[in-house]
Amino acid sequence: MIMPTLGLIEAFDRHGALLARAPITRWPITVGRALDCDLVLDDPFVAPTHLRIDRVVDAPRTVQVEVLETRNGARLQRKQSSKHYGQGERFDWPDGTPIDLGHTQVTLRLADTPIAQEQPLPQFPWRTVAMTVMLVVLMMAVAAGNSWLEARDVSQYLKSLPGVLLMLLVVLGGWSGVWAAANKVFAGQLRFWRHVRIACAAALGVDAVHLVAHLTAFAFSLEALSRFANVLVVLVLAVSLYAHLATVLPRRRVGLAWTVAAVVALGVPSWLGAQWLNNMRLSSTMYMSSLFPPSLRVAPAVPVEQFLQETESLRSKLDRRLRDDGQADDDE
Amino acid sequence: MRYRAFIEYAMPFPLLRPLRLATSSVLLLLLCAVAHAQNVPPTNSVNTPAVRPAGGEPVDATAQPPAAAAATSAPAAADPALLSRDARRIYELSRDKLVQIRTLLRNANTQASIGSGFFVSADGLIVTNFHVASQLALEPERYRGVYVTMEGQEGEVELLAFDVQRDLAVLRAKGRTAAAPVLGFRPADEALAQGERIYSLGNPLDIGFAVTEGTYNGLVKRSFYPRIFFGGTLNPGMSGGPAVDDAGRVLGVNVAKRLDGEQVSFLIPAEFAQALVKRAANAQPITQAAHGEMTRQLMEHQQVLTDRFLKAPFREQRHGNYRVPVPDDALARCWGSGRDPAFPGLNLERTQCRADSDVVAGDFNPGAVRLGYEAYNAPTLGAARFARMFSQSFANEQLQTRGNRHQTAAECSERFVDPGSLPLRAVVCLSAYRKLPGLYNMTILAASTNQPTQGILGRLDVQGIAFDNGMKLASHYLNAFRWEAAP
Repeated sequence: MIMPTLGLIEAFDRHGALLARAPITRWPITVGRALDCDLVLDDPFVAPTHLRIDRVVDAPRTVQVEVLETRNGARLQRKQSSKHYGQGERFDWPDGTPIDLGHTQVTLRLADTPIAQEQPLPQFPWRTVAMTVMLVVLMMAVAAGNSWLEARDVSQYLKSLPGVLLMLLVVLGGWSGVWAAANKVFAGQLRFWRHVRIACAAALGVDAVHLVAHLTAFAFSLEALSRFANVLVVLVLAVSLYAHLATVLPRRRVGLAWTVAAVVALGVPSWLGAQWLNNMRLSSTMYMSSLFPPSLRVAPAVPVEQFLQETESLRSKLDRRLRDDGQADDDE
Repeated sequence: MRYRAFIEYAMPFPLLRPLRLATSSVLLLLLCAVAHAQNVPPTNSVNTPAVRPAGGEPVDATAQPPAAAAATSAPAAADPALLSRDARRIYELSRDKLVQIRTLLRNANTQASIGSGFFVSADGLIVTNFHVASQLALEPERYRGVYVTMEGQEGEVELLAFDVQRDLAVLRAKGRTAAAPVLGFRPADEALAQGERIYSLGNPLDIGFAVTEGTYNGLVKRSFYPRIFFGGTLNPGMSGGPAVDDAGRVLGVNVAKRLDGEQVSFLIPAEFAQALVKRAANAQPITQAAHGEMTRQLMEHQQVLTDRFLKAPFREQRHGNYRVPVPDDALARCWGSGRDPAFPGLNLERTQCRADSDVVAGDFNPGAVRLGYEAYNAPTLGAARFARMFSQSFANEQLQTRGNRHQTAAECSERFVDPGSLPLRAVVCLSAYRKLPGLYNMTILAASTNQPTQGILGRLDVQGIAFDNGMKLASHYLNAFRWEAAP
């Protein structure tokens, strides 16, 4: 006699690969390492008989779980929050919600659950391709523009341009390729073009932040902004690093975000602190050197005497240096 | 930096510090020579090595007696020329009055520097250069001084007085019993005529005492303190030695030479040595580091410097429509150069000015005043490209970013300023001397911000200046920038 399949219970590892699956033909069923369980797991953090799962008779859509003799218990992974259950506890297992046992995740599909509709195959991703092309072209245009600003004459510029662009493409390809390889190792797929997009966006972001910071510093005579433009650039780079990492390990987004934030939060102050300890200043730039066309200046030009009155403050700063800079024994 | 004072450093194993000092001034010399190569006449642009090996000296065929310290009788000169006989007479006249001055490391007893000197009083006062004896003044706990006569007699010396501005020091030979043979000074009212033959004495490169002949060429033009232009050869080790006239009377003290020329040497007029000797006669020996006295003298020096710069308005120099300040011709020499051949769209003019106002004060040379301008004009370049190029040039300025044992790192103040017709981005940076309280090095950077494709960058460096005088000079300097619109 063929028993009707009442459901399907499946076990996955932490990367989402299927470890075991068992059709359910009767209630209750057991999950554990023991060979007499209905779903046998090879996880050393799982008890011999870890769970008993039963279907309550008078409520046909409800499945109840009993946590048996186990040290680690079970964790129900709800969308909003997860809840841990210890030995001897019972709880309802809503359809479609995974349970964590040790390092294994267990899911349940019931025969009487309505089946989701068939999804259409993905269309060719025109928009993504267009986006990628746009980003790459934009980045190359910015690089070409930058190199034009530095060029001394046209023929020399035109001669050097192919080399510059080729170099840029090689670096971009290499960088994205390394990330794609990591992606393949950890997530099973390359996602090369996504990494290309992230890298291009990061490069454009760095250029934009750089330009805006220095231009604002010039226009409003905000020297600090030009002095710490690099810190802003570091923030852009941190975001792009997060984007790369989150593509590689999408299930760990939250952890990665915290990690990158922590690296920035610790790294930037300790870098500034090291500069201070080393030289009694937070930035190695001595003065604002980015000059833009004069029409972009907004800050007023003050009379020389007023400026020199402000300069008087250097006297006390130098006194402090004489006292505390700790460089009196340094050789030149 | 075209001068090199002639301390001769202990030959086989020079100490690290003096050696480095030596190399740095050589580098500076080379840099200057390269920067001015276009304008310097061909004979001057040859980069003579700063420290010639002892064997590689040019031999002055007529005047150089083979002077070995041990030789007691002058070699029989086969040459009957009158000049040689004169030199020999001078040599005989003054040989017992000359000494070599050595500073020795107290612990290791090795030579740190050597120079020359001469007795000026029977009780053993010796005149030499301050740069020969500066270690005795600034680090007496580490260095001691000795004199060595031509006969090889050796004795301790103590430092009595020094004059940083003129680079003179007076020492006393300790423990002498016999009266010292003395060189007399030539009276100041007996002026020398230009072209008159004079003789310089000393111990070049620690080889032995020597007399070199040369001519008196009057006073050096644009020298900050009076110096005699000696048309003869001076070599390291002769510093502090006397220059005497035909009768063997001291008219000057050997001090420096130009490294980029031949037989262009300098003497300190004897009157300053005489004045210092007077001061030293009753002075107590200096046994503690004399930074206080040095600071006092350098304060005097910077005051003279400031007064001279502020007295005359700056000369205006034209670069297109820009008018920028350069010092009066009597104060500083300026060199110019034009156009960067590797950058066709850009018209670039450079000016470098330098006042010979620095003095030797141990390891550093305060008093130097340098100005430089770079005028850019690139009408075809476009505002964005011009701004990029102009910024890079503005960024490319060396400042004291880190402190060392002489001075602190620089602190800067910056702002857009407008002296009237030309808005500037101005940066004033100062760094303080540690052992010379109240003295600073000041650097002013100025970049014009009035035209999209024209600009001028200016830089003024003043070393060893008091804060207030620095501010006065800064005001004088920044207020002198102008834009003169085309009529």
